[in-house]
Amino acid sequence: MKKVIGLVISAFFILGLMSTSAFADSAKGQKYYLKYMKNDSGMNGAKFATQHTQAEWKALFEGKGEKFIAEYSKKFPALEGFLKGDKFEKFMPDIKDFCLEFASDSGNVPSC
Amino acid sequence: MRKIIAPLIIGAALSTAFAADDSLKQEIEALKTQMAELKSAQSKMNIDALRAQVTEIKAHDAGDNIKWNVDFRTSYDVIDYKITDGSKTDNAIWTNKLILGMAAQPADNLVFKGALGVYKTFGQNNINDTSMFQGFDWYGTQKPGDDSIKLREAYFLYFGDMGDVHYSASFGRRPSVDGFMTNLRADNENPASPVGHNINMEFDGASFKFDLDKVTGISGMYIKLCLGRGFSETTGAYSQGTAGFNPAYIKDGMNPNMDLAGLLMQFYDDGQYKIMANVFKGWNMMGVGMELADQSLTRFYDVGDMTGASLSLQVNGIGNGINDFLDDSVFFISYAVNKTDPNNVPVNTYSGSMVTAINYGMSGAGMLGSTEKETGSSIYTGVQVPGIMAGQRLGLEYNHGSKYWRSFTYGEDTLAGSKLATRGDAYEIYYILPIVKKNLTAQLSYVYMDYNYAGSDMFFGQTGNPEGLMGMMPYVESASNIKASIRYRY
Repeated sequence: MKKVIGLVISAFFILGLMSTSAFADSAKGQKYYLKYMKNDSGMNGAKFATQHTQAEWKALFEGKGEKFIAEYSKKFPALEGFLKGDKFEKFMPDIKDFCLEFASDSGNVPSC
Repeated sequence: MRKIIAPLIIGAALSTAFAADDSLKQEIEALKTQMAELKSAQSKMNIDALRAQVTEIKAHDAGDNIKWNVDFRTSYDVIDYKITDGSKTDNAIWTNKLILGMAAQPADNLVFKGALGVYKTFGQNNINDTSMFQGFDWYGTQKPGDDSIKLREAYFLYFGDMGDVHYSASFGRRPSVDGFMTNLRADNENPASPVGHNINMEFDGASFKFDLDKVTGISGMYIKLCLGRGFSETTGAYSQGTAGFNPAYIKDGMNPNMDLAGLLMQFYDDGQYKIMANVFKGWNMMGVGMELADQSLTRFYDVGDMTGASLSLQVNGIGNGINDFLDDSVFFISYAVNKTDPNNVPVNTYSGSMVTAINYGMSGAGMLGSTEKETGSSIYTGVQVPGIMAGQRLGLEYNHGSKYWRSFTYGEDTLAGSKLATRGDAYEIYYILPIVKKNLTAQLSYVYMDYNYAGSDMFFGQTGNPEGLMGMMPYVESASNIKASIRYRY
């Protein structure tokens, strides 16, 4: 049995070396939305993300998200500070992933 | 002079008008060309073919009212037990676990969610014959058994707004496995409904949730009333009595309905700090009776009621921008209590006689081996931090339970028994690594449970006696569970 355990653990670490590199995380995006954007937008995450289709979100987040920043700074002026700051630039891939996952044409069914 | 200037002005004006006319003509020609190109392109489009294609797609999708997702895992578990009589036992088991998730939203204010599950051991399909508890309803898809498909979740959510209060009402088989905090070790992004510290099992019931964040101004605040029935007192169809067949689905006069009502409260959630609590009461809790002559189990009895509560804090991102490591770390701590209220009904027989068992002082009455009201408590804490490579996660958890601690965590996916039910100390370390993003992941975990008392993770009557069954039977002193798994989700 010890041999099998050893083999399984070795396989696990080999898999670790094969694992994918960094990827955007919609769960993190949801967390950032809740922490930095929900209060100023007055919308819960699910409602916010369904404002656009996936193609529209992709267009808004193109480049450094200039179009997203412009649209949502205008819609919610209280968000401007966050959107034009360093944090947004850092969290943008995760927020984008979150918006794509729950976009109006994503087919995602909200839990509540 | 005027005679000279006037013709000049008229001449200039006319030449400008002719030039403008030429330019207009050119523009009209260009437009004509574009129109011709468009017409040509349009004529090449086969509208009928497109219509036929759309009709075909509509016909194919009509009635497809469920979206499916797959969660499939293959695991290798090594379990090891040390018994108080000095003996040891171990095993290594391969399992397959398949959860088919379902979802639909026919209207803006109506959602259906469901899940079917199979959790089976390799090459074993009559495992239910090994124990009268194996096929229990509380962990049908959370403990490996045979290859039958079981209902894990099925409920609808009807929601709307009453002024500033968003509400939802739901009936069905609940999303009650791997809730708040325990979703981390289960590597589930979103926690299920309950606080995982003291409730983690499958059951049927209802819930009514009211979001209070807008009326109170407190971020994320809500309350949720949860109702569940953990056991229904009924016979089946064509059950036999002393005078032939009974009418179908009548009370069997044995264990009454076992019900639970709880209030789940989220006091605060701003995405970083989350505080949750629950209070609940369970009625007619189950305890098993024994035939003392041959020490066999007879049937379930109602042994009394139980109340419980918990208070939990989770910090998702430690500090505020101190560094990336802390920003991506999760810490939680939780405290829970339970209190028994035994009815002290005798449950044991000796050679079929309950009176004889009572005369021997072994009636089995009480809850958790005591005829008094007993209080138990537990503390649960843990941290999950980024791993060595991007996307990987390392988790460390610890929990401690007192002598009379009893949780409803029968659905915890730990083959060696629920670690959160431990009366003593339990430790866990796990490592999660994504292989193909989050669609294919591997996890390695080690759980060690060091019991101070017997009866952890047992039922509510005499089998939960901290001194061992009838105060004298040997019990597991410590247990460990190594699990290596690979999981596909999409």
